[in-house]
Amino acid sequence: MTRLNSVLLNPRIGVGADLAAWRKAGGGEGLARALERPEDIIPTLRAADLRGMGGAGFPTWRKWTATADAPGDEKYVVCNGNEDEPGTFKDCYLLHRTPHQVIEGALIAAAAVRAATVVFYINPHQTDGIEAMRRAVAQWAGDSQIAALERLIGQPMRLTVTPSSGRYIGGEESAVVRWLNGSFPFPRRKPPFPFEQGVNDKPTLINNTETLSNISHILKNGADWYRDLGIGGASGTKLFSLSGDVLEPGLYELPMGTSLQELIFTHGGGMLGGRAFKAVFTGGPSNTLLTARDLDVALDFDSVRARQSRLGTGAMIVISEGTSVVRKVAEYVEFFANGSCGQCPPCKCGTFQMSRLLDRIATGRGTEADRRALRHLCQILPGSGRCALIDGAVTVVQSSLQTFPEEYAAPASR
Amino acid sequence: MSDRIRLSIDGRELEVKPPVSLLQAAASDGTPLTSNVGCMGQGVCGACRCMVRREGEKAVSTVLACETSAEDGMQVSFIDYFSPHRPHVYDVAAITDSWRVADAVRDIFPEAEHCRHCGGCDRACPKGLEVQNGVALAVAGNLADAADVFDQCVMCNLCTLACPEHIWPNHLGLMVRRAVTALTLRPVDLITRLDEIERGQQPITFSGEDDDDAADRTANRAGTPRKG
Repeated sequence: MTRLNSVLLNPRIGVGADLAAWRKAGGGEGLARALERPEDIIPTLRAADLRGMGGAGFPTWRKWTATADAPGDEKYVVCNGNEDEPGTFKDCYLLHRTPHQVIEGALIAAAAVRAATVVFYINPHQTDGIEAMRRAVAQWAGDSQIAALERLIGQPMRLTVTPSSGRYIGGEESAVVRWLNGSFPFPRRKPPFPFEQGVNDKPTLINNTETLSNISHILKNGADWYRDLGIGGASGTKLFSLSGDVLEPGLYELPMGTSLQELIFTHGGGMLGGRAFKAVFTGGPSNTLLTARDLDVALDFDSVRARQSRLGTGAMIVISEGTSVVRKVAEYVEFFANGSCGQCPPCKCGTFQMSRLLDRIATGRGTEADRRALRHLCQILPGSGRCALIDGAVTVVQSSLQTFPEEYAAPASR
Repeated sequence: MSDRIRLSIDGRELEVKPPVSLLQAAASDGTPLTSNVGCMGQGVCGACRCMVRREGEKAVSTVLACETSAEDGMQVSFIDYFSPHRPHVYDVAAITDSWRVADAVRDIFPEAEHCRHCGGCDRACPKGLEVQNGVALAVAGNLADAADVFDQCVMCNLCTLACPEHIWPNHLGLMVRRAVTALTLRPVDLITRLDEIERGQQPITFSGEDDDDAADRTANRAGTPRKG
């Protein structure tokens, strides 16, 4: 059995907002190393192969390099804690229980890219997280490490906790920037990327809460240590938000590369009511489903991608035989229809129409024409929006059509 | 070279001879038109709302099928009819105080003040109306100009579908047009015409009928058109 909760969720460091307790538990050492040799920060992350944990799995060092290399001395670091995807519940834990783990990572990011302002952008529904972060941030005022950071950057540091809009699209990077610039969080087309034009039109580094939480540990223990945490070619650990038809749903930190089988049957206690495993909505509701023949997949970014799916946020929504795939997909598409920001009619209208068709099919009222129209929408809609919301909605519909065609068939033929 | 074009509508692969509208193309394979159809090509009922992706383009636009020419390689998806979750109930006859009518609009459409200015309604409108501006004008109390914005609205509901704040812009527009009409004098030519009809000076002529027959029927009709 692999090591559970070894780093980010280690009970030893779940000390809450008390900075002294955080330091007593080993906190602050990563930042100290970073301040000693700031030029080593990004190469260390590169050697560690840390990836973005918010869904994309993009190499963190490349984002940091781009922001560090961007011209100008007014730069921003944003910790993205918007977390509003169905089935994802990892950042709220980190913000509430280990706020200093998040803050220390963000301060190291500030040192690496020379940003004097750090914004913790948090979903307003995470009241515990916001409260803990506010108390935690206040304790860094006048701290000697902050003073050292200010000497490095040559400007006074500013740390703020800002509630986000709480909307699903508010987690998209360009929407984060819009909101922090005082507007409705509308996503926009990229480029320009936030590292080019972000908060106040200045270079901005936006990282997911889990990504930043890993930073202090990597700086403290080294890239080799981090790489060794993973299984096979993968690095580090991953937080998995396990939910659905499992006996013990919850948040699990496991080595990157742990098998889906082990997550569900060893840690998650297996299937609810002894029912057979049917499928898992991998990485949240906007990805390709994995089925029983994928139980052996190693849960890391590259291995999951090799199965034409994505690890995403690490959300794993498990369903068993007896749970309707079409019903679940209909729920998710309705979520996307409601979350669509309105800028792009094909996204708003397309998710609506897919939602209507799915609802008819899921309740046994669908016709052959409905099924054909749904498949047709999956061809028309991809790429028609400014952001990836519509693409995600299409992906889950298309995947379920391919994987469970029998569930879409007319009731009489089931 | 074939003079026919191929397109797909709701997943049906069709081959048609241009020029035809998307609505004609949709009916060309004998599929019964039981929904998404109303005025049969006059562009006034708004029932044939659909999404269109043209060959080689990523963009998807919202159009009325009866007003859009079928093109080779087009992909078309019709959008269902739908009704409001919460009907807007009002009595235009009860709106008699022009000083209070802007308040009435805001009471009946409270969501209108929450417009987030995403521009989705403008992009969705197949008639090219400045829907968002119309809503803003109505919220600001400028009902006459708001009514003008919605003058060509055919109630296709695409703006409503596109609106993330559930404003129902076309329904707001209709209410504003009704209220403005109820509170203002009718156009002088309309008043004159109805007056002439009532006095039997202007017989209504139906095509294909003799003028005399029509004149007789108009004269014999129990309920002649009323001004209103």
